[in-house]
Amino acid sequence: MVLEATMICIDNSEWMRNGDYSPSRFQAQADAVNLICGAKTQSNPENTVGVMTMAGKGVRVLVTPTSDLGKILACMHGLEVGAEANLAAAIQVAQLALKHRQNKRQQQRIIAFIGSPVKYDKKVLETIGKKLKKNNVALDIVDFGETDDDKPEKLEALISAVNSSDSSHIVHVPPGENALSDVLISTPIFTGEEGGSGFAASAAAAAATGAAGFEFDVDPNVDPELALALRLSMEEERARQEAIAKKAAEESSGAENKDHASSSNADSVMAEAEPASNAADDKKDQPKEDDDAQLLQQALAMSMEEGSSGAAAADAAMAEAAVDDQDLALALQMSVQDAGGSSQSDMSKVFEDRSFVTSILNSLPGVDPNDPSVKDLLASLHGQGEQEKKEDKSDKPEDEKK
Amino acid sequence: MAAATNAAAAAAAAPAPAPATPVPRGQVDLVDFIDWSGVECLNQDPAHSIVNALKQGYRDDEGLYLASDSDEQLLIHIPFMQVVKLHSALFKGPEEDGPKTIKLFCNKEHMGFSNVNDYPPSDSLDLSSNHLSESKPMQLKYVKFQNVRSLTIFIEDNQSGSDVSKILKIALYGTTVDTTNMKDLKKIEEH
Repeated sequence: MVLEATMICIDNSEWMRNGDYSPSRFQAQADAVNLICGAKTQSNPENTVGVMTMAGKGVRVLVTPTSDLGKILACMHGLEVGAEANLAAAIQVAQLALKHRQNKRQQQRIIAFIGSPVKYDKKVLETIGKKLKKNNVALDIVDFGETDDDKPEKLEALISAVNSSDSSHIVHVPPGENALSDVLISTPIFTGEEGGSGFAASAAAAAATGAAGFEFDVDPNVDPELALALRLSMEEERARQEAIAKKAAEESSGAENKDHASSSNADSVMAEAEPASNAADDKKDQPKEDDDAQLLQQALAMSMEEGSSGAAAADAAMAEAAVDDQDLALALQMSVQDAGGSSQSDMSKVFEDRSFVTSILNSLPGVDPNDPSVKDLLASLHGQGEQEKKEDKSDKPEDEKK
Repeated sequence: MAAATNAAAAAAAAPAPAPATPVPRGQVDLVDFIDWSGVECLNQDPAHSIVNALKQGYRDDEGLYLASDSDEQLLIHIPFMQVVKLHSALFKGPEEDGPKTIKLFCNKEHMGFSNVNDYPPSDSLDLSSNHLSESKPMQLKYVKFQNVRSLTIFIEDNQSGSDVSKILKIALYGTTVDTTNMKDLKKIEEH
């Protein structure tokens, strides 16, 4: 992070009334200044920013370098537009303000917004540039508004005189639909010389402007790696959702012929398809969304129609695996049946104890244990239990023979 | 015997190690009292900064030097952590590009090239090429440097009149005034 003291020179001359930058040159400039101030103060807590005007009644320092963003933003309100900008005087006053900064470790920088014609001679500007370079002051220029034949050339000469190890920059912003601040976001003036502070600045910019107009709200110029990663992950997600939709379609077509195990598969597919449909909402892909909704409804109806006992018992993950492996599906089905059988046998064991059953029946209000229908029911339950025991005994010798 | 003679001859032929700069009697090197956070050098080449000429270790390396950028002038501001008395200063540099006229200012804050001529210097040194190579400290007007909180060194020109001035070493010698170093203040807990 670069530790900097920055003076921002605002052009408030008569030329700033023009409307070739929306809403006006002056307002576009004010937005850009606010954005730069925010970025500078956020990139390093010890950074200071000052603001001054170049026109009006004369060159005037509105705020000496401070880290209080509130002061900086407040000074922008109620500025008068008028007269002509005095670039040379403004740069010299800005340099003087930076010379009296409190923290000597801060590097000095002047950012000048120039939207009016430059009346100074090229040689005069070069002299000023050399003076700035000698005093270790970096200069950034935002050239917008009036485009005389000589203006860009003069400003380039000024920058080349100041430039020391590529610390000074110039940006020419032609009038157009893009806001001045949007253009500046991706320039070295805004992002700084270091990657770290640049990223902090871009984050501040994203917060301020919403990073409108970029895919995934990320400017690929600022962070190309992040943009690429987001694009790849989006494509992967799309492919995954398509695969899920295909699987659901196949299963819905062959669902009527399948048994309980396949119904549990449908449940698990449905569980996966729900987040997929949510993701589809984000993409605003209307026809595809309708298809997904229909598939979901079909799967739901199927799972409701078929017996829920087997479907509920089967694990979703196991069911997914069963689609691929037929043997596994068979084993699953058998285990479900075994579970059902074992629960029934447990119940029959309970009912075998006559005294226990009669005591329960006695405790129930309005039930007569001597009623013939109740006796018949108990006898039938007892008979079932005995039959099962006999079957078990007959099974055991067969197993032993094997 | 012959072997001993050869050894003696070899010793005589070998170049003698560079003699350490003699510190003036009763004085100390003030490098330990410099407040590095406030050190500033105007018109320095970013690749050859003030640290190369002023910091311990760096300044003794012949390959490292302080160089000017856009012209031959340099303005160095050195604040101290406590009040010092300045006795002498040493400036070492190449014979061609080394500094020539040096002006020293006491306790002058916010000096720039524009206002450096507005104030009379506390002392002015005119160095010859011999001074630069000798590594001998030059005595200052001791009376003028009795209560120094910061020192500003203005290098006006160099030996050859070229656009780049180079300085290999700057050393300041003197004594500290017995005052409270505010940075050492600590809260004493009462029992």
